[in-house]
Amino acid sequence: MKKIKLIIQREFLTRVRKRTFIISTLLFPLLYLALIFGTSYIGAKSKANLKIAVLDSSGLFDRGRIERANATDASSQLVLVKDNADSLQKNFKAMGYDGYIIVPANTSVETIPHELVMNTNRTIGSASEVQSKLNTIWDELKYEKLGIDDEKQKTLSASRIQVKPENVNDRKSDSRVASTMGVVSGFLIYFILLVYGSQVMMGVMEEKTNRIAEVMVSSVKPFQLMLGKIIGIGLVALTQFLLWIAFIFIIYNVTKASGAGSSMVSGMVGNVQSVFLSVNLPVVLGCFGFYFLGGFFFYSSLYAAIGSAVNEDMREAQSLSFPVTLLIIFSISLMTIATSDPTGPVAVWGSIIPLTSPIVMMARIPFGIPGTVQVWELILSMGLLIAGFIFTTWFAGKIYRTGILMYGKKPTWKEMFKWAMRK
Amino acid sequence: MALLQLNNLQKNFATQRAVNDISLTIEQGQIFGLLGPNGAGKTTLIRMITGIFYPDQGEIIFDGRPFDPINDVAYIGYMPEERGLYKKMKIGEQTLYLAQLKGLGKAEATRKIKEWFVRFNMESWWNKKVEDLSKGMSQKLQFVTTVLHEPKLIILDEPFSGLDPVNADLIKEEIHNLARKGATVIFSTHRMEQVEEICDHIALVNKGEKILDGTVQQVKQDFKENLFRVAFNGPVLPEHLAIHLFEVKEKRDNSLILQRNEGFSNNDILQYFINKGLGIESFNEILPSLHEIFIRLVQDTPTARQFEKTN
Repeated sequence: MKKIKLIIQREFLTRVRKRTFIISTLLFPLLYLALIFGTSYIGAKSKANLKIAVLDSSGLFDRGRIERANATDASSQLVLVKDNADSLQKNFKAMGYDGYIIVPANTSVETIPHELVMNTNRTIGSASEVQSKLNTIWDELKYEKLGIDDEKQKTLSASRIQVKPENVNDRKSDSRVASTMGVVSGFLIYFILLVYGSQVMMGVMEEKTNRIAEVMVSSVKPFQLMLGKIIGIGLVALTQFLLWIAFIFIIYNVTKASGAGSSMVSGMVGNVQSVFLSVNLPVVLGCFGFYFLGGFFFYSSLYAAIGSAVNEDMREAQSLSFPVTLLIIFSISLMTIATSDPTGPVAVWGSIIPLTSPIVMMARIPFGIPGTVQVWELILSMGLLIAGFIFTTWFAGKIYRTGILMYGKKPTWKEMFKWAMRK
Repeated sequence: MALLQLNNLQKNFATQRAVNDISLTIEQGQIFGLLGPNGAGKTTLIRMITGIFYPDQGEIIFDGRPFDPINDVAYIGYMPEERGLYKKMKIGEQTLYLAQLKGLGKAEATRKIKEWFVRFNMESWWNKKVEDLSKGMSQKLQFVTTVLHEPKLIILDEPFSGLDPVNADLIKEEIHNLARKGATVIFSTHRMEQVEEICDHIALVNKGEKILDGTVQQVKQDFKENLFRVAFNGPVLPEHLAIHLFEVKEKRDNSLILQRNEGFSNNDILQYFINKGLGIESFNEILPSLHEIFIRLVQDTPTARQFEKTN
């Protein structure tokens, strides 16, 4: 035990003290925020305010209505033009318009509104603002025709029925918040399995290429060496994760304290608060810790076995680890199904089988226990994951013991199974 | 007293019998040369002694008791031929780490490391990284990490490869020192002149079997071919040499190399030359070098032994 402790200590300290660890711990949340805000900023910035010519042969869309509509909604600009269709088609660009719409002469309020074609040289997706503006005018025309005054209009638009799905077992949970949280936790585990799993693999390969493996196994048992490395690196991942949680709480509290004046900041703080209220945070965090460690042990021992089997060549490692990586990616595709239908059979079985459970179960848990995830499912899933990682660690230990002292040709998976079966 | 006794050790791998029925006794304080061509099974044998492999058959008696790999590794220091250290780790920390894995306490390990570093002029290395060291320097460091915990049994596989003569002498001196203090050394190498110089006792392994075992002097006696070098104070004439006592192997103006024939003694030969009136300046027996014995014993071994099937 003392030796394992020493190994864990070394694996942990050499990694945590590295500059790359500090930088990635600080940079990852910043990059993540930059990505989210950056894309929405770029999206908003690049959205064009279309200037559209309207050629109205029906006489319904008069200048006054269009100007009023333009004044209330600046996201697009409509301009009434008097021209003929042919010259408009030829010259609309030269006249400074992004496109044009022709309202046919036989248009009237009684006829079901046609589809109007917006001829434009811009992307197709940008018609929604123009459409809603034209509909505002169209509604006005209909109200006038039917004799509905302002009072009645208010009654008409005053209320709409909204249907909100609510889980009968857990009234507090909000499915939108839950699925977002599920996806975020699922992706975090996915990220940790891939990044730290391959760190375990590289660590084992380093020992093999530096030829220190034989020195080490003359002092400690190969299994101790492997386990120490896995636990040490797992603690690095846990440390990084806890630091991120600490950052989130600090940022949250700082913004809450400082941002009382700004409506945007207080809105965000409110959002975060509603997330905290609608999800059972301690349970989610506790389960996250469990599935994060369980999944990490399950997969990283396989990565350790692969690292022990290959030589210095990264390509060998990649080709051998491909099936393992594929399983993790497969979990993510099951996760997307699970978040849209968290009680369906795919979600349930995906969250029980230990190959996919760390990611799929974490996507379901925010929906609520025992509302969405039955207690027996959770117990079975946890039990199987523990059994699963004991098995993979044992199996990997067998391969590791042989592989770490083998140099030369890259073994196949079949040969590695043979190593594992040897007594 | 025997520190290490191997009884009928055997180890099979999937495609070959790496070690076949090897028995050895190594006395405490001995410097023991374990010789053999590449692929003879030396490394497998050493790995069984260091607890890395378990023998399929046979037993290892270490210090009077059956070998217990978990606890006894603390009394063994092993420097494998394929040596290595963590490249990115600082030298002081790394040495401390390896010493602690051998069971030393932190304070004791630190004190011993400092002693060795002073002795080997390595004091300034503590905060350097292994990747900054030259091959010879890391070799010295590796030696220190092997013997730091004062093992009862030290196993050195090609300890001098990559060392310049000055550092090789330094290590050689330390090996003798350690043996004088009671440590037992197993020394595995291909360099026969080093074996003659350092070892008291040798064993030769080939194709997984022990084919020779004894003291260096005894082995040489066993393989001698009754060759003698005789030098005279005047020229030797052909008519002096036509005699049934010996056969001439090589002849120069004033000296001969001759092989004594069966049934005659050195005195018979000397008597003969004296009777012929030749003045003898020297008469020496030529013993075979270990190098010659080694080559004679293993030269017929196919180099591709690893492709042989086990029967």
